[in-house]
Amino acid sequence: MTMLRAERVTLGYAGRAVVHDVSLDITAGGVGLIGESGSGKTTLARAFLGLLTPISGNIWYGDQILKKADMRKFRKDVQPVFQAEALDPRMRVGASVAEALAVRGSRTARARVPELLEQVGLDPGLATSRPHQLSGGQRQRVVIARALAAGPRLLILDEPTSALDVTVQARILDLIASLDTERLLITHNLAVVERLCRTSHVLFAGRVVESGPTRDLLANPAHPYTLALRDAVPKLGGPPPQARGVTEAVPAGTGCPFRFRCPLAAPECERPPALREVRGRQVACHRAEDVLATGPGSAP
Amino acid sequence: MIEVRDLQVRYAGRLVAGVPELDVGAGECVAIVGESGSGKSTTLLSLLGLTENADISGHVRVCGVDVLTASPRRLREIRGARAALVMQSPQSALSPATRLGVLMRRALRLHGVGSGKDGRLDEIMAESVAAVMLDRAILRRYPHEISGGQAQRFAIALAIALGAEVILADEPTSALDVTVQAEVVGVLRRLREERDLALLLVSHDLALVSTIADRVLVMKDGEVVESGPAARVLTEPSHPYTRELLEALP
Repeated sequence: MTMLRAERVTLGYAGRAVVHDVSLDITAGGVGLIGESGSGKTTLARAFLGLLTPISGNIWYGDQILKKADMRKFRKDVQPVFQAEALDPRMRVGASVAEALAVRGSRTARARVPELLEQVGLDPGLATSRPHQLSGGQRQRVVIARALAAGPRLLILDEPTSALDVTVQARILDLIASLDTERLLITHNLAVVERLCRTSHVLFAGRVVESGPTRDLLANPAHPYTLALRDAVPKLGGPPPQARGVTEAVPAGTGCPFRFRCPLAAPECERPPALREVRGRQVACHRAEDVLATGPGSAP
Repeated sequence: MIEVRDLQVRYAGRLVAGVPELDVGAGECVAIVGESGSGKSTTLLSLLGLTENADISGHVRVCGVDVLTASPRRLREIRGARAALVMQSPQSALSPATRLGVLMRRALRLHGVGSGKDGRLDEIMAESVAAVMLDRAILRRYPHEISGGQAQRFAIALAIALGAEVILADEPTSALDVTVQAEVVGVLRRLREERDLALLLVSHDLALVSTIADRVLVMKDGEVVESGPAARVLTEPSHPYTRELLEALP
């Protein structure tokens, strides 16, 4: 059984839904949530962390509904990793990590700090530094050390490397890959997902539009949005990135939310597409078969 | 359009950017790549004389103006008009209480474009907005009513309307989603071809640079460690740092 699961959750703020009817299991091997700004990926992460109660539907933690579960145990099991700006600027690194340990009931918190810093590839001597004395990559390692202090089984990582330089990013990704935890990774960077997540879910306008094995999904997308995302990523020495359709805001209403941008939009797209199984994955598109046919190459 | 020789920018005696040679001709795109603190943005800003409190030496010509010795008045003739700067987050530079059309009109008047007859001004505005694939209706919107990608395209449209011959772009797409980035890059590519714009692009994204730039300068700790045709530098790098950058791509 998966540790965390969303069952038909609708999420929002002040009564306005931004994530609609999403079902998603956090399975082994890493799960990626991909989508653009405003697609609802961070909102979904907040719900998985128990920071946002669904308007409808449930988040399941094992066999319990999350809001009725033992939150002490949950906070030990599931830890967030956000961008490094989350560190208290006044607190020395060692104290910051010790605090995370102490909150989890570790009596020997201070003594375990060097061990945790080493685990994330930091010199234990940095324990006396303050965040502003560290580089961006070092700060992100401290954030990861704090998350690991609880001994979590699952990390929920929200754009953990997007503020970092590429060489630093590469080292942080190595670190994340080497950790012995499950992970839910939220990012707009397809290359990062490909590396760290066996399964991926593509979100568009608050709905899952395609789910499946990351490799298949990116090699041969079945949803036109996944295709647009993939072809928009510049590749070294590759053709110029392709803009498929226009990326304007999505008007509210019924029907497929992607139809305003979709080069394949047809009259049937006025009806909302349900998620259905197409070649080993879940796709919400009436024309998935046509998308797959244009698929593997990236010719426009 | 841009000619740089032996440029050295120092803050408090410390060399922040040193560029021995950089040329960008009409219709060309040159990219400066590197990580945070490499001096790439400082180089770009120094080309418009926008580095405050810096000691600058060398030779910089932009649109025929010697930037390091020109009078402030002469500098204003190229700055923002013939040589336009496009930043990472244009939205923060757009006055929040002013409609985009009013804003553009004001900028055009300030630079003496289409002065006198308003009809000509409207024509220039409509044409520049269309050139970046924006709907004319955007001119009636306020900055908070548009997306990041639209704001970036509006910034480019403003440059076009002002008759820019050179665009200096500092991480113009880093804050944008990939799909939106593709659009903005598409616009820049097209303008370069159709209007012979010279484009100097500062970016940390080597993959992106490889799809648009003719030549590349790789900077590290304030110095140019490698430069040459993009196709060569990014496929057969000769400097270990360039190789490290390329290998780090996820």
